[in-house]
Parts: sequence; C-alpha cells; structure tokens
Amino acid sequence: MTDAQTDTRFDTTPVEELSFREALAQLDGIVGELESNTLELEDSLVGYERGVSLLTSLQKRLTDAQQKVDVLMGELSAAPDDVTRDTTLS
Amino acid sequence: MSAQDRLVSSEQHSSERKALSVSEALDIVKGALKGIRLTIVGEVSEVSAKRGYKAVYFTVKDRSSSLSCLMWNDIYRASGVDLQIGQEVEITGFFSLYAARGTMNFDVRRLSLAGEGRLRMEVARLAKKLKSEGLMDPARKRKLPRFPKAVGLVTSPSGDAVHDVLRTLRRRWPQARVVLAGVQVEGANAPRELVRGLSCAAAAGVDLVILGRGGGAYENMMPFNDEGLARAIAACPVPVVTGIGHEPDNFIADMVADVRASTPTLAAAVAVPDRAELLKLLSARAASLSAAMRRVVDGAQASVRRLSDRPVLKDAHQLFAQDAMAVDHLASRLERVLPANIDKQRNLANQLSARLLRVLEGATSQPRSALARQSDRLALCLSSGVPRFQQQVGLRAARLHDLSPLATLGRGYAIARDASGAIVKRVAQVSVGQPLAVTVSDGVVSCRVESANEIRTDTVPL
Repeated sequence: MTDAQTDTRFDTTPVEELSFREALAQLDGIVGELESNTLELEDSLVGYERGVSLLTSLQKRLTDAQQKVDVLMGELSAAPDDVTRDTTLS
Repeated sequence: MSAQDRLVSSEQHSSERKALSVSEALDIVKGALKGIRLTIVGEVSEVSAKRGYKAVYFTVKDRSSSLSCLMWNDIYRASGVDLQIGQEVEITGFFSLYAARGTMNFDVRRLSLAGEGRLRMEVARLAKKLKSEGLMDPARKRKLPRFPKAVGLVTSPSGDAVHDVLRTLRRRWPQARVVLAGVQVEGANAPRELVRGLSCAAAAGVDLVILGRGGGAYENMMPFNDEGLARAIAACPVPVVTGIGHEPDNFIADMVADVRASTPTLAAAVAVPDRAELLKLLSARAASLSAAMRRVVDGAQASVRRLSDRPVLKDAHQLFAQDAMAVDHLASRLERVLPANIDKQRNLANQLSARLLRVLEGATSQPRSALARQSDRLALCLSSGVPRFQQQVGLRAARLHDLSPLATLGRGYAIARDASGAIVKRVAQVSVGQPLAVTVSDGVVSCRVESANEIRTDTVPL
C-alpha cells in the first residue's frame, strides 16, 4: 500500500520531458508538500530525490542556454558596438 | 465712399493736414481691414477663457510676431478644440478693431489644430473610436506566457532598438528562440509592413511578439497610430508587447497591445523572465527542499527517540514483570503442593501394595498343591514307560550293527571314493593318475590310480 502511494504521489515523467514551467511547478509542489510535513518518511525521501533532480535540470537549462535568432524578414544589421558590449554582458 | 477710397483720399489730403477724429481714423482702418479673410498658422501663447466672457481670448505667435485673437464662445465650442498654450493652430477669420480701446483683434471663425497637434487630435479621435469598439478593454488583455520558448520581434532590422532588444533577451532569457521580422517602421509603407511582420512572426509559432522602435519625432511615429496596425495587434493570436519611443508618448498600438512598455529594452524585459532571478529562486527552492527534508528526518528521529525513551523499551523487564511475578507465585504454590501430593499418593500405593500382597498369597496356595500332585503323576508315568523303550532301542541297535558297512570293512573290504566323494564301483569311473580315497576299517588311505583293468564277468552287476 505504501508502495502504491509512493508511485502515484509524485510524477515520474523523465525530468527532461517536462517544460521549464512544468518542472518549476512540480518543484514548487514538492517543496510545499515536504514543508507541510504530512508525508511518510519514505514518501518524503522520494519527493526530495525528485525535487533535487528537477532543480538540477532547471539550473542546467538556465545556465546552458544560448540565444538563437531566426531572421524572417529584412536584414539584421550588425551593431558596431555589439561585440564589445556582449562580452561585458554575457 | 469705401474704406479704400477714404484711405487713398486721406493720403491725398495729408498735405492739407486736415485732422480726423479718433473715431474717423479708426473707422478708416476698420473699413480697410473689413473683408480681408485670412488663414493663419501659429503657436498659442496665451489663453483666457473666463466664465461669463462671451468670447475666448488668446494669442497666436510665431518667432517674431504675435496676434491677439478672439473667438465667440459658440464658434469655439463647435470647433471641438481645447486650446492649450504651445499648441499649433490653424485659424481662419478676419481682423477687427475694438474701437473703444483702439486695439486690433483677429476674429477667429474657424479653429483647428495644426502640425503635431492636428496629428494628436486625429489619434485621439481614432483612440476614442477603437475604445468604443472595445479594443482597449482591459478584459481583452492577455497574460504573457511566463517562460516563452520563442519570442517574435517586429522592428527595424537596423538601428539601436533591435540590438537593445536582442541583448536584453540574451541576457535575461537566452533559451527563447528569437524570430525577427525586420520591417520599415517609418514612412507610408510602414503600417503595412508592421502588420505583415506581426502576422509572419505569429505564424512562425512564437509565444508572444515584441513590437518596437526607438524614439523619434511625433510625426515619424505615426505608423504606430495606424488603425490597420491596431486591428492587427488586437487580432494577433499571441500576446503583443509594445515598446515604442520614449515616455510620455502613448500610441494607439500601445493602447491596443496586451502589455505596453515605454521602450524596446523595457518591452524585452517584461516579455521574458530574468535568468539570474530564476537562478536565485532555484537556490531558495534548493534551500527550502533541504530544510524541509531535514525537518522531516529530524521529526522522524525525534519520534523514534521519544519511543525509545519509553520505560517499556528502556527496561525490557517491565514488559513481562507482571507475568514473571505470576509465574514465580505459581511455582512457589506448586512447590508447596507437589510434595504433599506425592506423599499422599505414596501412602495410597503402599496400602494398595499391601492389599495386593495379601490377596496374592491367598490366591496362589491352592494352585501350588494341585501342581505338586500333577508333577507326582507325571514322574510315575515316566518311570513306568522308560524300561520298555530301553529294550526296544537295544534290539534296533543290534540290527543296525548287523547292517553297518563298518562290520564289512572289519572283515577286510574297502570303499573307494573319488574326489567328489562318489563311491567307485566300476573301472570306467576312474582314469589313470586320478586320486582316490580308500576307506578301510580304521581309517582312510589316499591313493592314486596306477592302472585300471576291467575284469570281465558274466555276472550281472547289482
């Protein structure tokens, strides 16, 4: 019975398949549930583990991203100061 | 005489120095000005529209001159213009002379805003119209997606604005793909281009569109006041964020957009979340997660400790003290009770044993005397039978002796046996060299066959 509850209480979808919003919402939910301190110890541990993997994935997504620009119309001019400003900004 | 004639005649008669009265002089001027209808453009520099006045008094000026104007209240109200200092106005009317003070006024019969003022008024009229249609209804405004995956950008592909936006998006939310529709933002084609850029970006599957351009002169911003663009923004399938020009300008596009920012950079900032803030948020979540987990574990530990401190677990004797005492009590009762019982039983057994003995003695005396009698009878029978048997055995033994081969052997005969013990009765039964055992009267002689010769007889062997 405890096992069945564990299976259903926390989503087991691979973290990479979740959108940023979904993953963040799930993380918030887990933190809330753990903070409510109403879970079985075993469930808490499962939640904690899930929370940590969500966190890691979200942080990685934030730090690893590179901007991509598709130009549909017109011709994007190079800003003369773009290179120097970019290196200081990013 | 017309005013013109009078003016001419006054020139002609100037040499005559014929003096005119003030009224006559002003009449001449009044006559000269009458009928000259002019349209003038200038900037409003003073306005006096006091309650109870029959007319609105204001001054229009240009760089070097100024002109006092008056406008009758009914005509002013009909013009729909709210005169403000600094406005550029176009006025049509004629000069009039206020004879009582000898001052000249421009009697305005038509008033409209000119230049930027006119543009602004047109914009205001369009805004009113679109508002009445509900295009600016706050309920229509859509919420921006919190974490957009793709951001459309409709702006000029050259200039600072596009790079300001790209840089801001890159700094805050680089995971979003940017779809750029670089379009003309000024000139007659601009409204059509902006509309096309908007629909192209939306068709590329973006989550929201940023519509932007840097600041500029008001009349250059007019494409963003275009009715067609306003309707395209309202009809855009994804939310639109505007970042047009600098404060405090507000354009029709701003009013219709879902979110309005005052500059392109700010539009980019509201369109996407800030990576740095999110990382901070995630750090906070990580801390909460660990803290919550620690609390859960601490709680569990405390529960275990509380239980382990309970007397029953601390001192196992407590658990069965009652039972142990009960057992001891029973054991001591048993100890007292058992020997007494055993003694009782032993006495009983002794009594029974004595009784049994008495009974047995009585029971065996009779059979014993009967047995003695039988035994005597048996001895008697035996003693009478034996001599008869002894006589018969003697007879048999003598006969047995007569028949025994030992007697024959005693007379010198011998019996030959082969190795298997069979009695040799014929020559044919032996072969030369075969061992034979020959029994004589007092023993056995071991022999070996030297030769075997048959002796023919006519007697038939037994």
